[in-house]
This record gives sequence, C-alpha cells and structure tokens, in this order.
Amino acid sequence: MSEHAKGRSAIKSRWGKNRLMARVGIKMMFHDRAKLVGTLLGVIFASVLVNQQLGVLMGLLNKNTMFVENAGADLWIVPPGMEALSGGTRMSMYTLNQARVVEGVAWAEPLAFGTASMSLPSGGSEAVTLVGTRLTHLGGGPWNMVAGDVESLEMPDTVVFEDSRRDELGGINLGSVRELGGHRVVAGGFTWGLLPFGPSYAFTEFDTARSILNVPSDQTTFVLVRVQPGADVIAVRDELRRRLPALQVVTRQDFAHATVMYLLKAQLGISFGTSTAFGVIVGFVIVALSMFSAVVDNIREFGTLKAMGASNFDLSKLLFVQSIAYALIGTTIGLFLVTRMAAGIRSANLVLVLPWWMFAGTFGFMIVLCLVASGLALIRVRNVEPGMVFR
Amino acid sequence: MTEVTIEAKQVTKTYGSGALAYQALRGVDFSASEGEFVMLNGPSGSGKTTLLSILGCVLSPTSGSVRIFDEELMGKKQSQLPHLRLAYIGFIFQGHNLLASLEARENVALPLRMRGWGTGEAMKEADRLLERVGLGDKLDRRPDELSGGQKQRVAIARALAGKPPIILADEPTASLDAETGLQVTELLKDLASTDRHTVVVVTHDNRIFHLGDRIVQIEDGHIVSSTPNPKSHAGEPS
Repeated sequence: MSEHAKGRSAIKSRWGKNRLMARVGIKMMFHDRAKLVGTLLGVIFASVLVNQQLGVLMGLLNKNTMFVENAGADLWIVPPGMEALSGGTRMSMYTLNQARVVEGVAWAEPLAFGTASMSLPSGGSEAVTLVGTRLTHLGGGPWNMVAGDVESLEMPDTVVFEDSRRDELGGINLGSVRELGGHRVVAGGFTWGLLPFGPSYAFTEFDTARSILNVPSDQTTFVLVRVQPGADVIAVRDELRRRLPALQVVTRQDFAHATVMYLLKAQLGISFGTSTAFGVIVGFVIVALSMFSAVVDNIREFGTLKAMGASNFDLSKLLFVQSIAYALIGTTIGLFLVTRMAAGIRSANLVLVLPWWMFAGTFGFMIVLCLVASGLALIRVRNVEPGMVFR
Repeated sequence: MTEVTIEAKQVTKTYGSGALAYQALRGVDFSASEGEFVMLNGPSGSGKTTLLSILGCVLSPTSGSVRIFDEELMGKKQSQLPHLRLAYIGFIFQGHNLLASLEARENVALPLRMRGWGTGEAMKEADRLLERVGLGDKLDRRPDELSGGQKQRVAIARALAGKPPIILADEPTASLDAETGLQVTELLKDLASTDRHTVVVVTHDNRIFHLGDRIVQIEDGHIVSSTPNPKSHAGEPS
C-alpha cells in the first residue's frame, strides 16, 4: 500500500474538526455583512420586543401589587369574593378583634380602601384611590415620599397625594386645601410613582378615610396582620382561617399573586401575550429566512466542504455554532437597547421591570429560537450534493 | 514498478429511471497509477465529469467496480463516502471554489484541519505549500483579493495539502487565459510529480494536453482511446 494511503490514519481528532467547523461557521457569518446584519436584526427585534413587552407588563403588574408588597402586613384578611386588591366590599370591624387575639399576631390594623372624587379649583373632579391607615403601625401607609412627612397624617384631615399627579389634581402643593369626597382636606405630603391601573393612591388617617369613603364606623375594607418575629406565618394564617371562615385570609405573596392573575386573566395577558408572541414570530421568521438565504448564497461553499469530506453532521455543527453566535450577539445588543429604553422611558406612570432572570431566559429562549430557525437552512445544507461543485 | 492507485472496471452510471433514464457511463474501464498525470478529454455530455465524480467518491456508480488501492467503493454507504474523499482525494474545481471568508492560508489549511491536523501545524504546512505555488507573499489574502490565476494556485495548494494520493481536477484552466492556464497546469504537474500524486484532469483545453502522461478520450459514456504521451515520463518522479 502507498505511503499516501497510510495517511488515512491521520483522520482523527473529532474535537479539532468541531473547532474547525465552528471557526469556518463564524468566519462565513462575519464575511457576509448584509446577512449578518439582517439575521442579527431579527434576533434584536425579537429580544427587544419580548423584553419591552414583558418589562412593561411586569412594570404594570408591579404597580398593581406594590401596595400589597409595601403595606407592611404578612397576612391580609380580605372580604369574601374579592379576587384582587380593590375597594367596595367591606367586613365587620369585629374581624379586627378576632385577629388580634390569635397567637403569633404582632399587630392587626384596619385599612380603609376605595375611590374618592377630588373637586378641582377649575371645576370638574379627579378620582384618587384613597387609603386610610391607622397611624399606630402605619400598615398600608405611604412610602416613597418625595415631599412632606408621614407624620403629617397625624394632623386632622391631612392627605398625602401622588407627586406626579399634582397638575391633574389641580396644581396642589404642600398645604393646599381641597375638597375630597365632600370633605375639606389639606395636602401634607407627596409620594412618587404610586400609580396603579386606576386612580393614583392618596393616603390619610383611617377615620378620615372612613368618613370620606362613607364606610360605617363598624366596618373596614381590609384587616392587615403582622406576624410576630419567628412565628409561622402559615400557621397563623390557618388559625385565622379557622376563626374567620366567612372571610379570606391570604399571605402577602398570595394576595399579590392573586392580583397578578386577576389582571392577566382580565386583559393584560391577552394584550401583552399577543404582542410578545408577535415579536417572537417576526424574529423567528427573519432569522430563519436570513440563515436560509445565507446558505443558499453560499451553497457552492457548502458543496465544496462536502466534496472535501465534510459530512452533513459536520455542516450541522457549523450551522449550530452560527445559530448560537447569532443568538448571543443579537440578544446582547437587544438587551442593551432594552436597558437604555427602560432608562429613557422611566417615569411615575411606567417603569420597565427587567429582572435578571428575564435576561437569562431571553438568552436561552433566543438560542432555542435561532436553533429552530436554522432548521430550514439545515435541510437545504443536507440536500446539497457534493457533485454540484463539478457543474 | 508503479502501483495502480485508482481503477474502474465496467462502470455504468444511469441517472433517473424508466423512460427518463439517461445512461451517462456505459461500461467504463479506467485506471491510473501512482505519479501518473492523466488528461481526460471528451465533448460535453460525454460522461467525463460523471466519471470524475465517481472516481472522487462523490457519486456512486450504478454498476461495476471502483477501487482506490485495495478498497472497493461499490456498495459503500453514502455516509462512508466523505471519509474516503477526505482520506484519498484532493480536488481542484473549475471555479476554484475557495471559501470567500477564509484567507489563502486558511483555505489551504482547511483539508488538513479536516484530517485532524492541529491548527499550528496545518497553518505551517499551508504556508509552505503557498510558498511552493509562488504565493508566499499572499498568505493572508482573501479570494476576492487575488487574481484568477492566483486563486487557482491556492486551489492547487489546497488539493495538495496533506498529500492525498489522488488529485482530481475539473477544467482547472477554464476560467483562466491561455498563458495562465498553461502555467497553472505546469505547476500542478510539477508539484504532483514531486510527491507522486496520481492526477486526473478533465479538460477541453488542448493547449495543455502535451503535459499529460496519457490522454484518455471519452465519448458517449465510453472510453474510446487512451493514448500515452511519448514525451512524458509516466510514473517516474521528476
């Protein structure tokens, strides 16, 4: 046998071949700048739209659960039938006494909650979501204050308003006097960014709120319960449920979750789900077509590689690496843009919530999207006849 | 005595089936020995490219026998053919078919890397081969920065890389002017004979026939003549 034939033994190092295919794939990818930009635009578009939509959704959900999260209560006693944080339905103040005697409860306070109408100096009115808190523990009291002081609520008929709604509320300032639900109130401070879907939050002392909201003196909207340090929240919840079978007793997390689910089921889920799916589909189509087009444009090169001895599996690895590279580069750019976008549109009305796990998930999702999208290109590559290079 | 490197016996190849069947090869016998430089000539549609594809393990014959050294190709699975090509064959294509995104040295190193060579040694060998084809000063040029003749020289270096026993060239001078075509073929012959490669060149270009050790004429799927060139030194190192 010839010395040449013995050269067959040189066929080795599968890993080296993998690295070679990866290198060739990346080089081919960067060589065709137009296709590179086109494919990356698909990934960027999808990652920006998905994260922007989910960020807005989470921001909106966050705005509707932040009150529950910041009220300082471990447990909420909620009127029966209430699916999410809202006013209207009430319960007996007797509930408060029932809660306070349960072992493990540090404190329990009533919370008045409802919509009130504020008369404007120019005529007309503007609604606020009025929260009445007991000053003893300030459960459900204002936070994120940017002007005035929480202690101002100790003054009679004092209300803390939302700073970003000053103009809508008639250009109020500290000390401004207005009529709220037919009652004279004084602006004692301002919060920032406490804007749920409905009217902005306004905070006052419990009895003042009850008076404005026309809540009878023996009723309350919610009862907030704080558990003693070290006490088992679930055990306290179960005991409260046993004692108050007609009411709902939920943990802070469960109440926030229920509010989220209510909003998603109502409208948000369909609306944001549709636009997110749209972003994914458009991104997928762009990536799939760009990669397919790149393969078609370079079909002779793939044929050459096959003629030289590259197998379908080798070329699959080449496309695999390209897919991963497209996903990583495109997603990185996309997430950078979303981050800049989030900083640019940050306002009291809307804050894009972009948690780390959403970014990590986007990378994973985009890798899967690009791999699936490369399937079309892979089919074309597998069908390439090495003999085409002789034509 | 020179060893027969590649041998085809009674090879047929039929494309399609039924009424649309077309027989491109009709019982071809062909062989080439170590160090031999064979010109394969014939009119369009005569079957020369089909024969080249079969010899290059790119196509499987319909019937007959094809052996490279002592390895019978008939009956091999399609999935086995890439390994055979990688082991035995170096290709030179009509359109050079260099990878546009790779530098000249990377193109030449490509078959070496595919054969398992390390990056460093493959690059070193690629540089050496490019020096031999007179492109030592263009190692890092991409194909679009090279002339047609230079591209074909890179393609020759790539085909020689790793010293495959057989080099198959499909119309290597078709896209070159007469003078460059002659120079490129002379270079191929010179380099191939040094390392005792068996070279089969499919060509219409009668200006390079004199470089062949043997001129094989194929027509209508048959080999009609196989004429040794008395001026050449077939099978002997130059």
